[in-house]
Amino acid sequence: MAIAQRGTASNYLQRAPSPSGLADVLDVILDKGLVIDAFVRVSVIGIEVLTIDARIVIASVDTYLRFAEAVNRLDLSQTETAGIEELRGGGSKQKAQGAIEGVKEKLTPGKDKEKESSRS
Amino acid sequence: VSAEASTAEPPTAVGTTYVYGVVPAGSIDAIASTGVRGASVEIVEEDGVAALVSDLPDELRVTRKDLRRHLDVVDEAFRETTILPCPFGTTVESREEVVADVLRPQRDALVDGLKRLEGTVQLNVKVRHDEDALLREIVAAEPAIAHLRQETAGGGGAYGQRLELGRLVAAAVEAYREAGAARVLDALAPEALDVADEPDDELVLKAAFLVERRRQDRFDTAVDRVADAEQKLLRFEVIGPLPPTSFVERVVGA
Repeated sequence: MAIAQRGTASNYLQRAPSPSGLADVLDVILDKGLVIDAFVRVSVIGIEVLTIDARIVIASVDTYLRFAEAVNRLDLSQTETAGIEELRGGGSKQKAQGAIEGVKEKLTPGKDKEKESSRS
Repeated sequence: VSAEASTAEPPTAVGTTYVYGVVPAGSIDAIASTGVRGASVEIVEEDGVAALVSDLPDELRVTRKDLRRHLDVVDEAFRETTILPCPFGTTVESREEVVADVLRPQRDALVDGLKRLEGTVQLNVKVRHDEDALLREIVAAEPAIAHLRQETAGGGGAYGQRLELGRLVAAAVEAYREAGAARVLDALAPEALDVADEPDDELVLKAAFLVERRRQDRFDTAVDRVADAEQKLLRFEVIGPLPPTSFVERVVGA
């Protein structure tokens, strides 16, 4: 939550003493650490849904079209912006982008519901 | 199903003793943080090593709260001493097993692992592209892309041209990603004892750096420098100092 920034205020470097988002917490404690034969791991139902490499594989064609549109959308020299909507008749680009962003949404479910006090 | 709901049934598949990690015996008097399921955290010692444990009152379910508690316990120990943290959800059958099956038989490996991680911290670094800035740069740098971009502007051009444009851009993005990752690693690795690269398709770089605690300021300065130098295209996120969870397996070969 609290993001400490060093030096001049920068939007390109953010620091936090401790993970606050669920994805970052999982990153630190889920599959890493001391593993010994005698240990029994809790079956982590629910967590798997969160981490099962949540990235949805996007067909490369979709990726290409997404990049093509992203490049087209760039406001380089105040040229046209009209007609971009028609670029994708189907709208699968929205799906592709939505997939990527959706993952991050899923990784922080109930963020608003269960407010946990952040130590930082 | 409420994630925090408790079950009346006794634990079955799960052991009754939850283990957070192992520390040197005598290095910490007590843990004040609340453990998983609200249990207190106790210290079980045996011949130079000690486990941080809780009795599990009932079945452990995975909740955000318990994930946080696990991390808080590990973090509290980390601030006082050296800890070999266990992954979330680690249990053993009984309190007796902590000594009989973990601390006693693994003693030498644990002592050795603790020694190797003594005085170290972990910094998790994530680097991503500012996508718009990157795409601008790519259009400016590659005439073929700029040309196709114009051809397909406003929804014009053939499907094949759009596909080709996207293919070229995707390849350029990948090249920038690889080059960016290499530059950042080159800048930071010299200030670290070890690096655990944890590749992520969405990121330029995702890595954990093992750093000497007393030299963390040097690592921080290296981060400042490379982030400054790369500010046009790269966005940095640094979390830590963390207990070195990414490096435990490297020092205690299970």
